Amino acid sequence: MTRLPVGMIILLIVAALIFFGLAQRALDRMKLSDKGALAVIAGLIIGSFIDIPVWGGRYPVTVNVGGALIPLGLAVYLVATAGTSREKIRSLAGSVITALVIFGLGTMVMTGLPEPSGRFGVIDALWLFPLAAGVVGYLAGRSRRGAFVSAVMGLLIFDVGHYAWLVSRGAPAGRADIGGAGAFDAVVIAGIFAVLLAETVGEVRERMAGGPSEKGKARSLISALRKPDLDGEADAAREKEEGSGRKLGFWKRGKRERESKGGVQE
Amino acid sequence: MNKTRLKIYLAAGLILAAIASAAALNYKSGWMPALKPLDFLDFTESCDHTAGYLVNIMDDDGNIISKVARGVAAGDEIIQSDGKHYRVTKVGGNYARAKLEGTDRQYLAYCEYYAKMAVPVTTVARDGRNLVGIYHTHSAESYVPTDGSETIPFRGGIYRVGQSLANRLQKQNVNVSYDRTPHDPQDNNAYYRSRRTATRLLKDNPVALLDVHRDGIPDADYYKRNISNTPVTQLRLVIGRQNPNMRANLDFARRMMAFANKTHPTIVKEIFLARGNYNQDLMPTALLIEAGTHTNSGQEAANGVALFADAIPTVLGVAGAPGGVTGAAGTGGAWRALAWILGITLLGGGAFLVISSGGLKQAANRLSSYVGREFTGFLGPVRGLRQRITARRRTTPDHGEGEYNPDANEIDGENRKKIR
Repeated sequence: MTRLPVGMIILLIVAALIFFGLAQRALDRMKLSDKGALAVIAGLIIGSFIDIPVWGGRYPVTVNVGGALIPLGLAVYLVATAGTSREKIRSLAGSVITALVIFGLGTMVMTGLPEPSGRFGVIDALWLFPLAAGVVGYLAGRSRRGAFVSAVMGLLIFDVGHYAWLVSRGAPAGRADIGGAGAFDAVVIAGIFAVLLAETVGEVRERMAGGPSEKGKARSLISALRKPDLDGEADAAREKEEGSGRKLGFWKRGKRERESKGGVQE
Repeated sequence: MNKTRLKIYLAAGLILAAIASAAALNYKSGWMPALKPLDFLDFTESCDHTAGYLVNIMDDDGNIISKVARGVAAGDEIIQSDGKHYRVTKVGGNYARAKLEGTDRQYLAYCEYYAKMAVPVTTVARDGRNLVGIYHTHSAESYVPTDGSETIPFRGGIYRVGQSLANRLQKQNVNVSYDRTPHDPQDNNAYYRSRRTATRLLKDNPVALLDVHRDGIPDADYYKRNISNTPVTQLRLVIGRQNPNMRANLDFARRMMAFANKTHPTIVKEIFLARGNYNQDLMPTALLIEAGTHTNSGQEAANGVALFADAIPTVLGVAGAPGGVTGAAGTGGAWRALAWILGITLLGGGAFLVISSGGLKQAANRLSSYVGREFTGFLGPVRGLRQRITARRRTTPDHGEGEYNPDANEIDGENRKKIR
């Protein structure tokens, strides 16, 4: 196949465009501006071609920039900049739970001789992971960011766990290419689809509950939900509105937001 | 705060109670012998000879059309080597019922096409652009008669089968990239690990990607044949239905079955469309091959894939023959896959838009305001021109001769240029 037929080329291009389009919509909600999201996607694509070898004893270990480092960086950034410590704990707990759920479902339940994916092979690992991570992330914090962090970190924890398993089993051969499939690695796909899943579930729940309600919600929360306040316009307007310029203390503000929290947070 | 804590304790208590009762049932289940809930999590289980994992798929008349060792689901499809196309309608216990959907016209068309095609003696040029990638997602799979066990962790008998495929391809001057990375343990997550191997192979720009497995049904005779004077096991090609490229992969499988069976009749038993993705979304010419079952001998399985390998250069077009994936036989599968992807995207996106905006009307408003906002720059010149034309029409009768406005004239000129 020295030349690809037109149909296949268009298929590949359209599939990639839709995938990266979805990725951009998902990353848009990760405290990134439109351009920031595009930059991350460019990083994912270029980084796919860069594998960093890491010392791993008798088993070769590589870490892919696009498939592991950039998603991990984004996840760490989201955890570090999370508003409350409770949110941080929830995302990290979500990650550990996701890793356990994936191990439980993929390795303990869907195992055995039946081909090609063991008994109960209801759904392929590629789609099982975002589903599990999306559900765990959403339950852990009713949050899209939580879903992303759970998916990415959960899978990376699972990868590290697999490496430990290789070592403990004394496998005669084996390797760990963490995020090795780059932009199309399950780590990236799980992160993106987990966000989209959380978003869809959140929107459907909200709609079923009678639509978004602004009543009784903190103004900062509402403005944060609308659009990223990159120019600080909303902040300025709010400060002006609050008159005396007296700002609420950190704890009080946090408490107010917590009390008024409901529906979906981004 | 107390209420929340109470809820947490209650939930934790319920989970503990569930685990305890499951464990109790597992070890002391005299009153309900069949129910052993924790078997669900039996890590070491190999369910080869338990009847539950052999599914006989029967047609409406009760004839067995296929035997598989997998969870069969309604909607799975089978295309047999004679072109009969079945769709599974009902699944219960060890049996599944499949309805005959007629013959697969596309497959029969390929059979006819290859039957008429004059196949040149394959002379493949070693130009480095005819690479085939081979790997094993389930690297522990083995054959009992020759390997002594059905699974040998990290170095299963399946490697001999992969090597046989690679050798035969190399004999025909096809370049082979055979990746021997093990992806143990043998489970669903193995596909997560093998995805990295598949991508690594893709970086060398192969023309096809083959994941070689074996089946797990106990009946060895089901696959055992003597084809082209060689004792072999027949093969099954598996296509994952949870894969946006499915139509393109299926098209490739049809060509492979059509031409392989022309070269060595019935070497490919059937194409099975199962639940799964099997990393086939990575490439339209990715295939999962099942070479016999664990009760067949490894040598017969190796012979089987070697016969299959004879068909690969021609179908992939690397032999310089017409009729490859790039050849005259068309690429209907790719276009159909494209239509599916676009359809699903539009449907999903539309549904999401309607749900999130709360109704059809609101969705339409949102869409039109989005288009207005995002495409202003793009449609700006047209709009500007239109506005100016209407403005001039309005002003001309009032002013008789009309006023000369150099700015407006210049902008109009610019706009016209842009439109042209």
